[in-house]
Amino acid sequence: MTEFADLLVLGAGPAGAEAALAADHAGLRVVLLDEAPAAGGQVWRAPRTHAARTRSDADQTRGRDLRGRLDASGVQVRTGTQVWDAVPGFCLSCVSERGATRFQAPRLVLATGATERVRPFAGWTTPGVFGLAAATAMMKAEGRLAGRNIIVAGQGPLLIAVAAKACAMGVPPRAIVDLNGRGDWLSAVSGFAAAPGLLLTGLKWMARIVAARVPILHGADIVRALGDDTLDAVIVRDRASGQETRLAADTLYVGNGLTPADEIHRLLGAAQVADALRGGYRTLCDADRRSSVPGLYVAGDGAGVHGAFPSAAQGRIAGLAAAHDHGALSAADFARASRHARGQLKRLMRFADASCRLMQFPEDSLQDIRGDTVICRCEDVTVDQIRAASGDGACDLNQLKHFTRLGMGPCQGRMCALNAAGVLRRLAVDAGRDLRLTPRAPVRPVEMAQLIGTFAYSDIPVPKPAPL
Amino acid sequence: MTFITHDLAVIGGGIHGASVALFAARAGMDVVLLDKGALAREASGTNAGTLTMQMTRAALIPYALKAHDMWVRAPEWLGHDVGVVACDGLSLAFTEAEEQLLAERAAARRTAGAPIRLVSSAEATRIEPGLNPSLRMASHCTIDGYANAYLTGVAYRRALLEAEVALREYTPVEGLDPTGTGFSVRTRTGVVAARQVVLTGGVWIEPMLAWLGIHLPIRTLVNQLSVTERTTPVMRTVVGIASGLLSLKQFPHGTVVIGGGWQGTGSRDTGHHTTTHESTVGNARLAVHAIPALRATRLVRSWTGFEAETADALPAVGPVPGVPGAWVSGSVHSGYTSAPYIAHCLVQAILGQVPDMPLFPIDRLLVQDMPAATDFTKNGTEH
Ligand SMILES: Cc1cc2nc3c(=O)[nH]c(=O)nc-3n(C[C@H](O)[C@H](O)[C@H](O)COP(=O)(O)OP(=O)(O)OC[C@H]3O[C@@H](n4cnc5c(N)ncnc54)[C@H](O)[C@@H]3O)c2cc1C
Ligand SMILES: Cc1cc2nc3c(=O)[nH]c(=O)nc-3n(C[C@H](O)[C@H](O)[C@H](O)COP(=O)(O)OP(=O)(O)OC[C@H]3O[C@@H](n4cnc5c(N)ncnc54)[C@H](O)[C@@H]3O)c2cc1C
Repeated sequence: MTEFADLLVLGAGPAGAEAALAADHAGLRVVLLDEAPAAGGQVWRAPRTHAARTRSDADQTRGRDLRGRLDASGVQVRTGTQVWDAVPGFCLSCVSERGATRFQAPRLVLATGATERVRPFAGWTTPGVFGLAAATAMMKAEGRLAGRNIIVAGQGPLLIAVAAKACAMGVPPRAIVDLNGRGDWLSAVSGFAAAPGLLLTGLKWMARIVAARVPILHGADIVRALGDDTLDAVIVRDRASGQETRLAADTLYVGNGLTPADEIHRLLGAAQVADALRGGYRTLCDADRRSSVPGLYVAGDGAGVHGAFPSAAQGRIAGLAAAHDHGALSAADFARASRHARGQLKRLMRFADASCRLMQFPEDSLQDIRGDTVICRCEDVTVDQIRAASGDGACDLNQLKHFTRLGMGPCQGRMCALNAAGVLRRLAVDAGRDLRLTPRAPVRPVEMAQLIGTFAYSDIPVPKPAPL
Repeated sequence: MTFITHDLAVIGGGIHGASVALFAARAGMDVVLLDKGALAREASGTNAGTLTMQMTRAALIPYALKAHDMWVRAPEWLGHDVGVVACDGLSLAFTEAEEQLLAERAAARRTAGAPIRLVSSAEATRIEPGLNPSLRMASHCTIDGYANAYLTGVAYRRALLEAEVALREYTPVEGLDPTGTGFSVRTRTGVVAARQVVLTGGVWIEPMLAWLGIHLPIRTLVNQLSVTERTTPVMRTVVGIASGLLSLKQFPHGTVVIGGGWQGTGSRDTGHHTTTHESTVGNARLAVHAIPALRATRLVRSWTGFEAETADALPAVGPVPGVPGAWVSGSVHSGYTSAPYIAHCLVQAILGQVPDMPLFPIDRLLVQDMPAATDFTKNGTEH
């Protein structure tokens, strides 16, 4: 079954929801797709439990407001709908509990958000080690945080946000292990000042952490997680002195920034450039968010990490641009309707840059990862195996995948490809070589039962027999 | 700058080129192997790896039988692991029409030497308990199996280096000039000189032959495959259907590869190819119909690759007419299976010996006038 629309929007986070609302307002028939059970994306994720609903904060309020505006609009919201393939034109192949469906429209906004990065260390696959972003998702959806003796580690605003919220939930972390030094934060302050409201939120978080007397270890990272079936402790290393300290913990939340979830951008052939500040690669677009593929617009962290508010502004511009290109908005109306969002985006850029700098992945530190550290957790491929494959002649990621099975598991390289590329790049690989896996459908594993639905054997369009 | 003149330049490092280079070097020739990318990154590294008689063209069965035996003994002559597993193979019929097709095809392949016999549905489900019991009949071949095609590159790379083949990966060849005593192979980074050349470019043998003024039309098929996540054992044989449009097997690590020649889209000229929704879903339905337990798995990846086909769907393997010292090898149906043996025969011919089995000279396929290179991809039909 195929449903048609004027505009498809993939991702119902700040970027996608604003794009859908803007285009709907301009009179387009819009379908908004998201695999999550409700709109809101990562940052404005809807609460699922009573505990989460009663723990109201600014993000909850914004999420509720967003869902309210979507309900009141003409946007067809299809949540619980996973997109697994896309072709230009545009046709999106989806599965949901209702089975397989397809959506088609001449225009598409991709607002797929980001994926968290974790710098691998010995023992990072031990049960009890989670991502920082996973912690926020758990707190937002379920209103709780797993663990009693927790350590929060990594970098960027998410580190402080998770630590502060953990304090508010009555589980103050045993320590915050911050890759950045105090100086890094200080030099970010002038950028943060570009968004005084957000800076204030950040200061409140810090106040809460200080009040709870949580020690902050600056310029430090985790080098080892200890424990077999459960986490017992972590080894923290001071990056300057190299001194190592053992901290007991049953749960570690660790994250090293975000990277665009750009599988579909790549599948559709949108041009990209390497951009470490934006999470690895950024999808090229013009000021109206048009990508290199005609009819394809990109917004939010999926096209290059900027954070929630710039994402929303980009989404609004993309939705309006699609409406304009569709003929539903005159040039003057487009300019007028997008003016506020453009102003916001410009104002927020310094804030975004400051956050992104703190979150920027420590590429150089991939150099000194221990050889027995697992890089691809689905297929258990270690740094040593990558080095051996390189010795055997593997000099791009597709070859590395063939030689070692790295990236062949259910995460399809989402967790490991950038880290593996980082390790490989340091092994005398020609600097200009493209170190990415070829994008392929399905972009997420699909349940076979949902993919094939119910069918009769005689309905399978078996091609004509091969020659004998 | 001094030029080394190699005895043999092999252009295209798929399974055909890599095998020819390996056997020629083992026979004492000084060989250079060039590829535009890394070894076995096109069809030869991305194919389903089925080493089967039941999808092989009847005329190629004698070669495929010899090659199957070589694959099983790969540790002896290749020296490196490509994960070969020998097992039984079953081709299924679910309808009356398929029964007829199956009987006909089994008979032709049996005549060609494949140990295939027809079995009842009860016997088939004894051989393969995972089968859908609604099948009507099956053909059973005791010589079947599979390799792990993605290991082709690393295995051959090691073997070729051990055999002292000069490996030139990431070196696209741009042209070829006969010099009277041999050939100048033009690349972006310079000229490689060789006394003889073999063109083993897969679907690109058409543009390669055009360098020598020869027009051999090649149809570009875009074959599609999918793989499930690792799952508990659901099958232990290679399973196909009468029409040849299904190939299924479960690897020792638990993933199931689903194929059979369903078509994606792509173009040889851009080198780009991709899956289609219809083929992914259609092929998956056929797979689940054959092995119902697959319904509970998840599909993690689909991909495509180019396969070459000549006008008569038989191989293009032999001397290039009118160009002494130039050879071509490609467009072999189920070409992964037969490659090592076909390469063995071709190397015998290159060495001036009589091949153990006849080659497939291309004279029959040549088009006299030379229009722009044909690319059938756009309306790529299935095979
Ligand atoms: C796990 C996680 C937690 C985060 N928590 C915070 C936080 O607490 N505070 C903060 O300021 N920032 C947070 N961030 C950063 C945050 O993602 C962004 O800045 C902001 O949400 C970006 O908005 P967006 O609209 O671009 O993407 P998102 O909000 O991520 O929205 C993208 C949406 O696309 C959907 N989607 C993607 N691919 C598919 C597909 N194939 N099929 C169907 N649906 C799909 C996703 O389900 C998601 O809902 C978090 C990021 C991550 C990865
Ligand atoms: C998806 C798929 C599934 C298949 N499944 C099976 C199966 O299960 N069993 C089976 O037996 N067969 C199967 N086949 C067929 C089999 O893979 C092919 O017949 C075989 O791999 C062809 O090998 P080749 O060496 O001729 O071509 P290729 O592997 O395509 O190699 C040609 C090489 O030439 C190189 N080249 C091209 N142009 C240039 C240039 N200008 N300069 C330098 N190098 C160049 C290319 O980079 C490439 O490496 C399948 C094919 C596909 C696509």
